[in-house]
Amino acid sequence: MATFDPQFIWFGLVSGSLIALGALGLTLIFGILDFINIAYGEYMALGAFIAFGLNVEYGLPLVVAALVGVLAMGPIAIALDKVVFQHFRKRSATVLLVVSIGLSFILRNVIRVVWGSGSKRFDVPIEQAPTYFGIQILADQVLIILLSLVVLGGTFLLLQRTDVGIAMRAASDDSELARIRGVDTNRLVLYVWLVGGVIAGLAGVMLGLDGQLRPNMGFLALIPIFAAVILGGIGDPIGAVVGGYAIGLTQELSVIFIPTEYKAIIGLVLLVIGLLTRPDGLFGEATR
Amino acid sequence: MAYATLLTTVGIIAAIYALLAIGMNMHWGDTGLLNFAHAGFFAVGAYASTIVTTPTTSGLLAERTVGFAFPVVVGLVVAAVLAAVVGVVIALTSVRLQGDYLAMVTLSAAEIIRLIVKNESWLTSGAQGINNIPRPAAGAFPLQVGGFTVGYDLFYLGLMLAIVGASYLVFTRLSSSPFGRVLHAIREDEDVPRALGKRTATFKLKSFGLGAGLAGLAGALWSHYFFAINPTMFLPALTFSIWAAVIIGGAGSYAGAIVGTAFIVGIRQVTRFLPSDIPFGNELPFIRLILIGVALIVVLYFRPQGLLGDRERMAAGQDMGGS
Repeated sequence: MATFDPQFIWFGLVSGSLIALGALGLTLIFGILDFINIAYGEYMALGAFIAFGLNVEYGLPLVVAALVGVLAMGPIAIALDKVVFQHFRKRSATVLLVVSIGLSFILRNVIRVVWGSGSKRFDVPIEQAPTYFGIQILADQVLIILLSLVVLGGTFLLLQRTDVGIAMRAASDDSELARIRGVDTNRLVLYVWLVGGVIAGLAGVMLGLDGQLRPNMGFLALIPIFAAVILGGIGDPIGAVVGGYAIGLTQELSVIFIPTEYKAIIGLVLLVIGLLTRPDGLFGEATR
Repeated sequence: MAYATLLTTVGIIAAIYALLAIGMNMHWGDTGLLNFAHAGFFAVGAYASTIVTTPTTSGLLAERTVGFAFPVVVGLVVAAVLAAVVGVVIALTSVRLQGDYLAMVTLSAAEIIRLIVKNESWLTSGAQGINNIPRPAAGAFPLQVGGFTVGYDLFYLGLMLAIVGASYLVFTRLSSSPFGRVLHAIREDEDVPRALGKRTATFKLKSFGLGAGLAGLAGALWSHYFFAINPTMFLPALTFSIWAAVIIGGAGSYAGAIVGTAFIVGIRQVTRFLPSDIPFGNELPFIRLILIGVALIVVLYFRPQGLLGDRERMAAGQDMGGS
């Protein structure tokens, strides 16, 4: 437990950005494919570890390595869909969820086989954080917040202004109706994995930049991400982002009242409160 | 002789996992509930029974301040009841909603249970774990029976087989009873039993409590056999292995759950005998989990009813029509 410190708000914004990104990707995929992809946490971790491999093992500059890791997750997500999820498209959402949990274990352990199970760090200098306005602010953290805002903004432009984005929103609302109106839902599936995969990769790389890389980093990040998705109304992108920042801030500010070890509980508590009071999400129009 | 001892231990592990799989089959196979907190219920049972039966004075560096010296039987009962209560409380949050909400809540709750076990050292000794957990009737063994020496392991295996047999009988009876038929109806289409006036939420809670309670009992039996427990025994990989066991065996079939468990424990234990100097020897534990994951997905694709499941009755394999 600690006394209030404006520093917590800064930490909250940083974690909020990470949670919001993860929640946005997860909820987008849910909107089109109608199932919760538990392996999403592993997509994040895989993006981070690919960047780590290029950065530390092959000595590429972090920017290049991160870019490759992030962009690679788009095609990888599509490939995993082709190899795994596509064959279960006709099955119920619960079967797909169980399949995704199988995939998550496969990916997590592939990461362990390739990179080992210890914790890793990107090749960045460890430095004392400079203090502005009484808050310690790292350049990495500024980058996380700015990049998240750029990606969140970009995704919303995509959803609002482009044909693909409008088709995505239509299919998310009612995929049958969208198909009747001539939306090629199969092609849409590719786009949503591409976008969702890249967002996962970015969230993972930034998660690794903010702390350490561990094979289960994505899995552990899922608790607040689930909470954000449900708080925002499952399938609702704006809700997911608002939920993400709300949970990030609450989680970091919670250390004033509870021991730091239990920050993760806040995610579950908010998840449960959300389920009990507003199962349709903050803005009330969930797709299920 | 060494192999016989080893086999007995593997048998005991398999029997404990079979209890977990039977509980999971009540959730997923009978009721269609997505429970990803089984390792959590297992942990609740293991720690509950341990704390009730192990005084704080035992153990090497115990930081605990709470511990009792009740007989093991009391521990087993407390473990089952507490795990059932925890299960029902977790399920209460989302049992009225779509299935994937329960999946998210249970997945998160299992991590929180592990976090509590790790951090509340006054209760659980934290990461250090608890040692010197009493074994039931340990004084009576080795026992001489007509020239044969019955060792403790053999006794415990017999005890476990009896408990698995009893649980199998109870749960198959439950599954074919009117109660079980309502669960099956909920699994297939919850609106139908609801239209017939059944309180489906109550049925789901009962199903969840029963399965979680059995997992708690399994946890207690685990801790009393292995003397010592620590938080690393209750990782999500355990829940995942039990899921794989139920699905490979055939969701909805209790015999299948036991066969699936034998298969999974087989993969997990037999690969331990491979020499460690083979390629990827050090990565074997991870490769094992990859193999189990692949088996899970392949079975779901090619044989959704599992090895022993009944295709017609198994919702998991079929298009539920818009979920």
